Amino acid sequence: MTAAARNIGGRRAHDGRIGWLEQTVGGITANIEHAIFTERHARSAGWLQRRDPRLKVVSGLVAILAASLATSVVGLGVLYVGTLAVAAASRVPFGFFVKRVWLGIPFFAGIVVVPAIFFVPGPRLFDIGIGAVHLAPSINGLFGAILFVSRVAVSVSVAVLLVVTTPWADVLKSLRALRVPQVFVLVLAMTYRYLFLFLHTANGILLARKSRVVGRSTGGEQRRWITGTMGNLMSRAFKMSGDVYSAMLARGFGGEVRTYSTYRAGWLDWAMLASTLIVAVVAVAVGNFAS
Amino acid sequence: MHIPDGYLAPAVSLALAVPTIPVWAVATQKVKKVLNNRTVPLLAIFSALSFTVMMFNVPVPGGTTAHAVGGTLIAVVLGPWAAAIAVSVALILQALFFGDGGVLAIFANCLNMAIILPFVGYGTYRLVAAGSPILSTRRAVAAGIGAYVGITVAALAVGIELGIEPVLFSQNGHALYSPYGLREAIPAMLLAHAFGASIVEGLVTGLGVAYLQRRHPEYLTSLRRIFAPEAAADGVVARRPLWQLVAASVGAAAAALAVVGLVEGGGDPGRMFGSDWARVDWAAVATMLLVTAVVGLILIPVVYLVLPARMKRIGTAFAAVAVVAPLGLVAPGFAYGEGSTAEVQSAFGYVPSGMRDVSGVFSAPLAGYNLPLPFFNEANAPLWHAALGYELAGIVGMLVVGGAVFAIATLLRRGFSNDAGTGGAADRRSEGTVA
Repeated sequence: MTAAARNIGGRRAHDGRIGWLEQTVGGITANIEHAIFTERHARSAGWLQRRDPRLKVVSGLVAILAASLATSVVGLGVLYVGTLAVAAASRVPFGFFVKRVWLGIPFFAGIVVVPAIFFVPGPRLFDIGIGAVHLAPSINGLFGAILFVSRVAVSVSVAVLLVVTTPWADVLKSLRALRVPQVFVLVLAMTYRYLFLFLHTANGILLARKSRVVGRSTGGEQRRWITGTMGNLMSRAFKMSGDVYSAMLARGFGGEVRTYSTYRAGWLDWAMLASTLIVAVVAVAVGNFAS
Repeated sequence: MHIPDGYLAPAVSLALAVPTIPVWAVATQKVKKVLNNRTVPLLAIFSALSFTVMMFNVPVPGGTTAHAVGGTLIAVVLGPWAAAIAVSVALILQALFFGDGGVLAIFANCLNMAIILPFVGYGTYRLVAAGSPILSTRRAVAAGIGAYVGITVAALAVGIELGIEPVLFSQNGHALYSPYGLREAIPAMLLAHAFGASIVEGLVTGLGVAYLQRRHPEYLTSLRRIFAPEAAADGVVARRPLWQLVAASVGAAAAALAVVGLVEGGGDPGRMFGSDWARVDWAAVATMLLVTAVVGLILIPVVYLVLPARMKRIGTAFAAVAVVAPLGLVAPGFAYGEGSTAEVQSAFGYVPSGMRDVSGVFSAPLAGYNLPLPFFNEANAPLWHAALGYELAGIVGMLVVGGAVFAIATLLRRGFSNDAGTGGAADRRSEGTVA
């Protein structure tokens, strides 16, 4: 049910458009690619990559919270400029960082707020009458929409920056430092590990079908096949969980999880947290004093 | 259904942790108690499975595709507590790593999709399955219905969470967060799901359970016992009779209508659905209901006896609808939102000029869905006269439309039987197949 959920029909695949199989294969492949891309950048030698992951996760949460609390576009602008500066220092490809956020966000968040611009009561920016239809955006509505879209964009930027500069293993250990229960962190870690195995398996099944099917199948057939595939994956999941548990037992797993952490927070790490806090306070305060 | 950051006020996002975190804690305890150390790999692998299932595009009747969440499917196999953890982990992974759904909004998303969805879905499944045999078709259908209800209720929750934002947080007249109020957000979420994504979820879950029944029945029996020993339902006979089911669904529908009506009426029970119920003359309504009941008791059996066998069921159903139709007359103000210009005037204070121009062009023979006789549509005729007129007009309308469709269909069939190309016809039939 993600935003890219519905578009093109499977049955129309024969007239040159993308079918449901290709769509799923494409989505899965994109996720795997995204993960590889992220892990590569998370291990490159940028400024943010060298910071202590625990303080980095805390700083990221502070920045997202500030974006949620800010009530003015200026405050959000301050936050975004800060994010861009850090991204540049961390060698995150600028085009990717800006494009990914600004191509996606106005599309999804923007479409949502467009009707609101016209329905909010109050003074109008202009009023064009086309027959009986009046095109009259409200000034208040426009302000609200700009604020809303920039808030979503800044939140997403911070989250993207955090993810592309931190290896997943470090994110998890930071969660541990934030007192998230051990069981949860362990399950998250193993999920991430087996996720790619499942995505890979699913892609294999889909491609195998794609390469063997000639002609058209009915919607009912397609649905039966896809649910059969899900059931098949579920049965593999059961078998695999049994195997994994045996392997864990064989290596001496007794219910306790021990991890070693060699993180040491230096003055630069604390400076990062302090400056994030200052920017956050400024961003929130600007809106409250300006109005 | 994934809420991104920025849609919810931070106060709301964090407040939703209050119901979410205790459920996680209880779920972890419950699952741990039953499975001991085996929990970790099983939950991790099912979370990965849940994530993968969310990636699948499912072809929907009508030519589009949609995603499934699979929460109810996992709840049917592992029990709702384990499903809550598995889907939560998949959602957290999506938010932290793939940017799908917000970081601060994690609690909201987990509450909707990982707690409300599997628990409502599983509860409905248990209710409909009613202890029927584990491999019966009823179980598969029950799982489908459960998934449909579960995801629709989850969508309602999203609508409420988004809808309260402009009520709580506005500044200088503009909304700070999601700009739509309850009256827009709830119908938007409910309708989009009830006629789209929920159908997919129901189909996938029902067919998925049917597949497991056929190929891996052991997952539906022995495993359920491992995870939720008190809930192991092998079941032999349907213990819950159908009338209880019907009563439960009628009750649920009435409750849902009451909630929607209260929201529409701004929380005042006297103004349900935004109408002034004090204006209703209840004595006249009682007479009308009595007349309607008598008409129904006579008309429906007659229709059933008169109609040819081929049309008995559908014809009787239509006649029943026509008999019940005038109940809408009870509602003061708009009847069925098809108000005449005068009603639009009184509701909005003005009439759009286009509407005024067009409405005079054609005066239908059965204007106002009533028969053009003073007995039925006099200004001060008793309500039951109008109701009778309504019913007669409805039946006349159905006969006219049915006759027209029948005539056109006959003509078309004659036209098609002339050309020999049956391949096209067979193809069309297969296109229309809906499993």
